[in-house]
Amino acid sequence: MSLEVPLNLKSRNLDLAQLSLCDAIDLAVLVEEEARDRYADFADQLTLHHTPEAAGFFRWMSEIEEKHRKELAERRQAKFGTQPSRVNLGMIFDIEAPEHGEARVFMTEREALDVALRSEQSAQAFFAAAKDAVRDPETRALFAELEIEEILHQRLVREEIAELPPDSPGNQEDYSDPPVQQ
Amino acid sequence: MTTTTTTGLGEAPALSPKDFNSGLKPIWCPGCGDFGVLSGLYRALSTIGRPPHEIAFISGIGCSSRIPGYTTAYGFNSVHGRALPIAQGVKLSNPDLLVIVAGGDGDGFSIGGGHVAHAVRRNTDLTYIVMDNQVYGLTKGQLSPTAPKGLKTITSPFGSLEDPINPLLYVLAYGAGFVAQSTPADMPGMTSILEEAIRYPGFAFVNIQSPCVTFGQEEQQVRAQKTHMKPLASLGHDPSDLQKALELAGHYGTELYTGVFYRNPEPPLSYDRLIRLRQDEMAKQARPRAQILDAYLQK
Ligand SMILES: Cc1ncc(C[n+]2csc(CCOP(=O)(O)OP(=O)(O)O)c2C)c(N)n1
Ligand code: SF4
Repeated sequence: MSLEVPLNLKSRNLDLAQLSLCDAIDLAVLVEEEARDRYADFADQLTLHHTPEAAGFFRWMSEIEEKHRKELAERRQAKFGTQPSRVNLGMIFDIEAPEHGEARVFMTEREALDVALRSEQSAQAFFAAAKDAVRDPETRALFAELEIEEILHQRLVREEIAELPPDSPGNQEDYSDPPVQQ
Repeated sequence: MTTTTTTGLGEAPALSPKDFNSGLKPIWCPGCGDFGVLSGLYRALSTIGRPPHEIAFISGIGCSSRIPGYTTAYGFNSVHGRALPIAQGVKLSNPDLLVIVAGGDGDGFSIGGGHVAHAVRRNTDLTYIVMDNQVYGLTKGQLSPTAPKGLKTITSPFGSLEDPINPLLYVLAYGAGFVAQSTPADMPGMTSILEEAIRYPGFAFVNIQSPCVTFGQEEQQVRAQKTHMKPLASLGHDPSDLQKALELAGHYGTELYTGVFYRNPEPPLSYDRLIRLRQDEMAKQARPRAQILDAYLQK
């Protein structure tokens, strides 16, 4: 499946067509790093705002993303050693990281899993589009591999969702926990 | 100064967005639009390449005004509505600093409204970022000056009777050289606008429609914004066309235009530059220290 993704909403100053294999692995490492940090931020925010179940799930997601990041970073190191990177975090936006607006106070674990599912779909869509945009065959193969991995991750998240009991009725939007006044 | 790289695949910028993150955890409500703005700022600053110690963030009071604490730059989370005068003082006393002012629509256009006109007409080289959520977030959702007529809040339970202020027209009317609008619903677009505003050599204003997830309106949330925002570039708008900019800005509140409304193609010298030139001029005319006493004795 090749999802349509508006690339201009996911990156900046980044010409995908020009990516070398080294750039592509570096980019993939950054994608995992951004996701790791965002999930960790969500976990911190929800811990602060009395939402421990979703916070625990996001903490776990952060650890998984770190595992993926490490594996990719090791591959990069083995193949390209200390060759300087030409990409940085400032060029990508919410590829596998959930968008900043996705966290909600008192969100349920199911809602947190839905967030993760949307993020894996977003990453799949990005890698599919990147695969089509690059010229170098080796780089294309890497993006194809990453796209398939994202599909596998979605399957895992769906399995987790299927095991959850249904959310209790009620609207979580009725509750809030705003910051204290100055 | 650190190297600046704005293109994709030359060398990567020397600074990472993380270099600007203080590590202090924001206490904003999860999902607040201000998280996106902060992240866009980190990215814009890393591309600009000025290190944190060459930057100062000045704010007033409000949820959005907490931004200085979340950056590694110098920061002053000051007094409600007074960010602009303080920022001008900072810039004039240390013109080499890159000064960014950040705050809410309440801070900027209610209590601080009187300062905006003077900051604009004076044209000090500042970037003023307003996180416009059309409510007072920090004080729990009262009516703000940019709230639409009819909005029901805790201070307008039967609906507001007042027309909102139009922040875009307000600053354009006083002659701002750079006026733009964006939203965290378009992170790359917002980041580019922030970068452009910070690089503009004079007073630059960016209105960011940054949703308040706790007290804000439904149609102001990121998901809704994604469906109705209209990039000015896609309308073929020429940012050097002031008349067209005024016309488009007039649609604030009914259309969510994103992008640069107006960029003065020939920016005049900013106030801080003019002051520096005058100081240089006066220094040339000044008597040497030893002659100052002579001048008195001759009288
Ligand atoms: C002199 C003074 N008056 C009133 C207040 C209370 N107060 C704090 S923040 C605020 C308004 C916040 O709204 P806004 O500036 O839009 O920022 P937001 O919280 O929405 O980001 C008010 C009225 C204050 N702190 N100081
Ligand atoms: S009250 Fe509104 S503006 Fe303040 S942190 Fe919460 S969502 Fe953001």
